[in-house]
Amino acid sequence: MKPKIVIGVISIVAFTSLLMYNFGNSISSYVNFEEAENRSISHVIGTWDSSESHGFSRETMQFSFHMKDQDGNSRRVVYPRPKPNNFEQATQLVVIGEMRNNVFHANEMLMKCPSKYNENPEFELADS
Amino acid sequence: MIATIGHLFLSAAFLASIAAMILYAIASVKDDEYIEYISNWLWGAKGLFLLISSGVLVYLLMTHQFQYYYVWNYTSLDLETKYLFSAFYGGQEGSFMLWILISCIVGLGLIKWTRKPYRSPVLFVMTLTQFFLLSMVVGWDFGFTQIGASPFRTIAQEMPNAPFIIANPDFVPADGTGLNDLLKSPWMMIHPPIIFVGFSMMTVPFAFAIASLWTRTYNEWIRPALPWTLAANLSLLTAIFLGGYWAYETLSFGGYWAWDPVENASLVPWLIGTAGIHAMIIQQKSSRAHKAALFFAILAYVSIIYQTFLTRSGVLADQSVHSFVDLGLYGQLLGFIVVMAVMGIGFYLYRYRELPSPTEDSKFLSREFMTFTGSMLLFILGFVIIIGTSSPIIGKLFVSNPTPPEIQFYNDWSMPIVIIMALATVIGQYLFWQKHTWESLAGAMIYPLLITSVASVLSIILGDVRSLYYMIYIFAAWFAVIGNGAVMIDLIRKNPKVIGGALTHIGFGTLLLGIIASSVYTEPLLDQRTAAYNQRIMAGDVFDEEGFPVTQRVEMFQLEINRPVLVNEKYMVTYEGYTLTDSPRPGQQNYILRFEPIDGSVPFYMEPEVYPMLTTSTRDNIDWSVDPHVRTGWTKDIYLYVAGSRYVARKNDELERRNRTGYVAGESSDEDNDIQTIEIKMGETIDAGPFSFSFINFIPASEEVVPENTQIGIRALLRVEHEPSGNAFEIEPLFAVYTENEQSYVYSPPLDIEQWEMSVLFSRIHPESDSIELTVYGLDEEFEEDWILVVAEIKPFVSVVWLGTFLIMIGFSVSLMRHWKREKNTKELR
Repeated sequence: MKPKIVIGVISIVAFTSLLMYNFGNSISSYVNFEEAENRSISHVIGTWDSSESHGFSRETMQFSFHMKDQDGNSRRVVYPRPKPNNFEQATQLVVIGEMRNNVFHANEMLMKCPSKYNENPEFELADS
Repeated sequence: MIATIGHLFLSAAFLASIAAMILYAIASVKDDEYIEYISNWLWGAKGLFLLISSGVLVYLLMTHQFQYYYVWNYTSLDLETKYLFSAFYGGQEGSFMLWILISCIVGLGLIKWTRKPYRSPVLFVMTLTQFFLLSMVVGWDFGFTQIGASPFRTIAQEMPNAPFIIANPDFVPADGTGLNDLLKSPWMMIHPPIIFVGFSMMTVPFAFAIASLWTRTYNEWIRPALPWTLAANLSLLTAIFLGGYWAYETLSFGGYWAWDPVENASLVPWLIGTAGIHAMIIQQKSSRAHKAALFFAILAYVSIIYQTFLTRSGVLADQSVHSFVDLGLYGQLLGFIVVMAVMGIGFYLYRYRELPSPTEDSKFLSREFMTFTGSMLLFILGFVIIIGTSSPIIGKLFVSNPTPPEIQFYNDWSMPIVIIMALATVIGQYLFWQKHTWESLAGAMIYPLLITSVASVLSIILGDVRSLYYMIYIFAAWFAVIGNGAVMIDLIRKNPKVIGGALTHIGFGTLLLGIIASSVYTEPLLDQRTAAYNQRIMAGDVFDEEGFPVTQRVEMFQLEINRPVLVNEKYMVTYEGYTLTDSPRPGQQNYILRFEPIDGSVPFYMEPEVYPMLTTSTRDNIDWSVDPHVRTGWTKDIYLYVAGSRYVARKNDELERRNRTGYVAGESSDEDNDIQTIEIKMGETIDAGPFSFSFINFIPASEEVVPENTQIGIRALLRVEHEPSGNAFEIEPLFAVYTENEQSYVYSPPLDIEQWEMSVLFSRIHPESDSIELTVYGLDEEFEEDWILVVAEIKPFVSVVWLGTFLIMIGFSVSLMRHWKREKNTKELR
């Protein structure tokens, strides 16, 4: 084989491995709150636990609420921004941040809202 | 029924595309002009059918026929006509129709301009893609299975088991759910058509590549394919720009690019298309890189379908804020991508051995090598982004339930790649127009390098750049601007028609400069209190109510009405209040903030908006949405939105109270409780809640204002102060006693202090205690002055990002004109 091809193949393999290695490190798995204890940055999926108090404090400039993850663990979550749009409506929340002292400090929050394509949309009755 | 006509014509178009596909295939194999002639007519007929069908859909939208699911789902009665029209491509089904329609027009162009031997095979590939796209919307229901989701299906067909449909199959909703407010923007009206023009035209190089493999003519195809690819790229870039500009102006994430999968979906085909353009140019100039040109032409279109698959199949539903919901097209989309990829790449590999390959290696310092490097780098960048965007699929190799990659992944990989690219553009452009050795190249580049160094050092000092990595990046970007600029100046003197490449590369360098300035050097605007608070947070001195240290910095600040606040030691910012308007959106608040630069330059106003998002708000919950104000400038933009306000907080409280108590009457609820009477002597000050009332003096009332037969007419000069804010008003309420029919009456008209929603009456005089009685309405113990929470950023040189983008667009246009003209002249020579 020509040395040029060998070098080419080696560099392609090296590049791809490095890319995939780095890609593998930059993605993570969605976890629950208990698993999040031992990680730096985690993504947790859950729902709003409306039985606990929630609200935005203008003193600390934080929005805090309780979230129940998919395994039923409920934890307090603080988010350094005002209550996001359509927070109450969200069928699912994804919080991205760090768990410290049993409080989840979210840097980012994604709301999954009931889609427009849901099964029972609310219709207004037509005038007959 | 008119919708049936639409559905029938759509089916007819589908059948016509199948027939045309078969006939074009026969025409290609037999090289039969007559069959090709018939196929062309079929293509035209299909276009007509599609046009009628689209017309029907637009008609249904315009006439508000809400029994149709698509109409109900994307429009409402109050929607403006222009948005009713753009709702045509507002949803998944309609956007497929638009894509097909534009492809059809592109096909007509191909029929007119394509020469033998490519015409039939090219149009065969075009019809094949049309067949797949049409199958997404044809909506044929075979009972056991279904092909496509028709835009003409009714609500009853969409949800046959919904209770209201079972109760009344002819049910027609009174109003639709409406178009998402964020999409009500002129930018969003033109963005989809332009992106589909790009997608449709990118089919052309793919079709030519297949045709070239089919006819085994590997040289000629790039001549007609190149202008189409350039035009496709120009459209995609325009669409990407519009999308970025819209996101920046409308959304609250504060930028023009977020590496969102849907954004990546249009960037990757652009990158691979550009890689293809580079390869085609080498092939045209030097008769090399046939393999790369074919490969990238195929891959550009495959990447479009792959990204279409990702965004429309529901795979990305968890990851992207704006991906489409699965319409049950997963299988069909998968079929589309598999057939196209297998046909393209399979055919390519099948013919690989007979593809022309260069007899000798190109030297490092040659235009071929440099242009090919550019091509490969663009491809690699595209590949990296595909890997990142595919995390829901590829991520499964590493973890179960993968999240999207961190933004850092994209930044880490793209930065070194674009640095090398920027350097290569200059060397490439120098070599493109003249042969060089290392020595002559170094000689030619002395001045550009000098100017680059000066510009880089100045930027680094003025921008206070600390990171070595950024310094290299800035140098490379300036080098691309200045090096290519030098080439361009040289070319303008010789032959201005060929500056397209140099201009595009200048644009690329400019874009890189704009990107680093506007993203890395964005600074939040904060008042001194918040800035100090953030410093304490960083020092670990702030604890929350449960005693845990607070670690997240606050990136917003509060403004109280009419109280100027110093922000970033640059501006005195005063919140001057808001106005409520119902236009263009009901319930919209326009907030007014005055910015006074402390360096003495001209003050200006920022007017961000907050409005209830009607499509997602319900009776029990208002979904507030913000519309940021961006003040654009040459050197910096100020980006600002209102993240919270007293008005919004009150509205929410009111709703919550109503939801809790079930009390519907609303505002009148506490009106009985907020009347207070105050007895006050002259010179005395009495506190009531957060307010203080001072009775300063009596003033005689003038005759005009008192009723007839007035015995006493007097005013009290009062000063009312809101103590926490220090704001105060002086008012002079009137007290008069008059007789009518021998009866005495008191006349004491209320005086309103609108800002505080308060009214004051001078209701009685107590001569015995030398005091007067005031009746005050709207005196709330928990009264607070109007406030807003503001998120604001200074973004330097966003203008340079747009400038770079425009330069690239102009560069592409110049090249497009040149290649198109040459292609047309070739035809006339025949």
